[in-house]
Amino acid sequence: MTDDKDVLRDVWFGRIPTCFTLYQDEITEREAEPYYLLLPRVSYLTLVTDKVKKHFQKVMRQEDISEIWFEYEGTPLKWHYPIGLLFDLLASSSALPWNITVHFKSFPEKDLLHCPSKDVIEAHFMSCVKEADALKHKSQVINEMQKKDHKQLWMGLQNDRFDQFWAINRKLMEYPAEENGFRYIPFRIYQTTTERPFIQKLFRPVSTDGQLHTLGDLLKEVCPSAVAPEVPNTVLPGEAKIEPTFEPSRIAGGRKASLAVKCWASQGPSRVFIARKKFHWFRTKLKQQVFRAGVQKFQL
Amino acid sequence: MEEDEFFGEKTFQHYCAEFIKHSQKIGDGWEWRASKDCSDGYMCKTHFQVKNGTAMSHQGTSAHVQTFLPVEEAVDPPLDDFEVTETTTAAEVIKYEYHVLYSCSYQVPVLYFRASFLDGRPLALKDIWEGVHECYKMRLLQGPWDTITQQEHPILGQPFFVLHPCKTSEFLIPVLKNSRKINRNVNYITSWLSMVGPAVGLNLPLSYATAASQEEGNVSGQGKKRSLHSTFPVAEILGLFCIWLCPPCWTQHFLSLLSPLTGH
Repeated sequence: MTDDKDVLRDVWFGRIPTCFTLYQDEITEREAEPYYLLLPRVSYLTLVTDKVKKHFQKVMRQEDISEIWFEYEGTPLKWHYPIGLLFDLLASSSALPWNITVHFKSFPEKDLLHCPSKDVIEAHFMSCVKEADALKHKSQVINEMQKKDHKQLWMGLQNDRFDQFWAINRKLMEYPAEENGFRYIPFRIYQTTTERPFIQKLFRPVSTDGQLHTLGDLLKEVCPSAVAPEVPNTVLPGEAKIEPTFEPSRIAGGRKASLAVKCWASQGPSRVFIARKKFHWFRTKLKQQVFRAGVQKFQL
Repeated sequence: MEEDEFFGEKTFQHYCAEFIKHSQKIGDGWEWRASKDCSDGYMCKTHFQVKNGTAMSHQGTSAHVQTFLPVEEAVDPPLDDFEVTETTTAAEVIKYEYHVLYSCSYQVPVLYFRASFLDGRPLALKDIWEGVHECYKMRLLQGPWDTITQQEHPILGQPFFVLHPCKTSEFLIPVLKNSRKINRNVNYITSWLSMVGPAVGLNLPLSYATAASQEEGNVSGQGKKRSLHSTFPVAEILGLFCIWLCPPCWTQHFLSLLSPLTGH
């Protein structure tokens, strides 16, 4: 995967400019200003919104505050889905910034999992990584790691440390030289049009006659309704070899990340408040990403 | 789909169907629900319980099947209607739903469950945890991935509590391997559910285990009755009960102790 380092970095550093607004029926002592934040696509809402929580709690009384939850256009947002997935699924066709409403009461018990602490997010994340390894390596690689390696994986995600994360994750992305790939590809396909939250099935990276499967093969087999029949120049990168990302979720998220950044840049950075010390750094990064998005075809 | 699957999805569905057949015979309330696109499905059961611990009588099965001893089970004649002996208010009645799904990642069955009051208010994890017997709590707390956690139901998309499946195959595979060695049919759904169910308030009448043995007797066509027949599943369940409570490193040890009982 070393020759894909650029793609790995672009996926990791993908950001979604978001505007958080307090729900109008929440009880406040004074007017609550919206809060702007760049959300990492690969992280989880409840992991990266401490500042959002603090900001709104400043204008509320303690007794009016219970578990925070987020909603977009009436749909409660599942914190256990990666942020990039939520955005791609619900808001990718709308103008940026992504407008999320913040709630502190009437937690929707039937729709959302509770998130009482960071430990719950860690447990969920590690459980996803473990399940992916069960598919890739029959859990051999993850079980052979020490507890401190698991911890490093989690801390890398929590603290946005690409190198720290990938130092461990690269072991989970390797396979023996004699094999042509993993045992099964860990993937999930999310669609808003189905009642079922996602499609997940066993799928081998290589066919019985030794041909490498493509993304198109995968889709044709597990989600035929998503594949336009016999149409040339479809949007799907059918020729791309399946290179699984570390997330057992969503396909083509990386490309959307670059497009999102591109659209946002055209609206101008002035609409987004960014932590001052990161602003200058971000502007440089933004220019790089916009340039790359323009010239590079994403492979996933 | 895959020949090398030990607990393939088709096997899972087959054993669920057998399990449900017996459930229908004794009125235990299990049924199969297919997903909207019918590509897969799950087994489910709903039962009601009064919060102070006494389960309400439901269609003939004794709710207090906490013992594994081979007693003569006095099965009440099945009631035509669901009779409720209720002296408490509606708010104290809890509705439990149990769903058995198949995990293709771990290739084992997984138990999902949720509980709510009759007015729809769901029970929190700490309330569920209070209902778990002490002896199970110790085992369940051994690792963050072996406990009960709240997760999204893979077919319904709603929050459920789940007993994590990653250690299931460790205790299930020896059961199947052993039974195949002695040519005895075991419904692994019965074995598995009788193990993990009680930890979360789900009990299986003993007749499920003897039903599996009887099916095999019919298939082989032999009239020969093994004298250990009624106690065999008991010994198996007892042994597995110990295995499940012990750390995985003790599993092999207990299995070797168990083999004289399970052999003939």
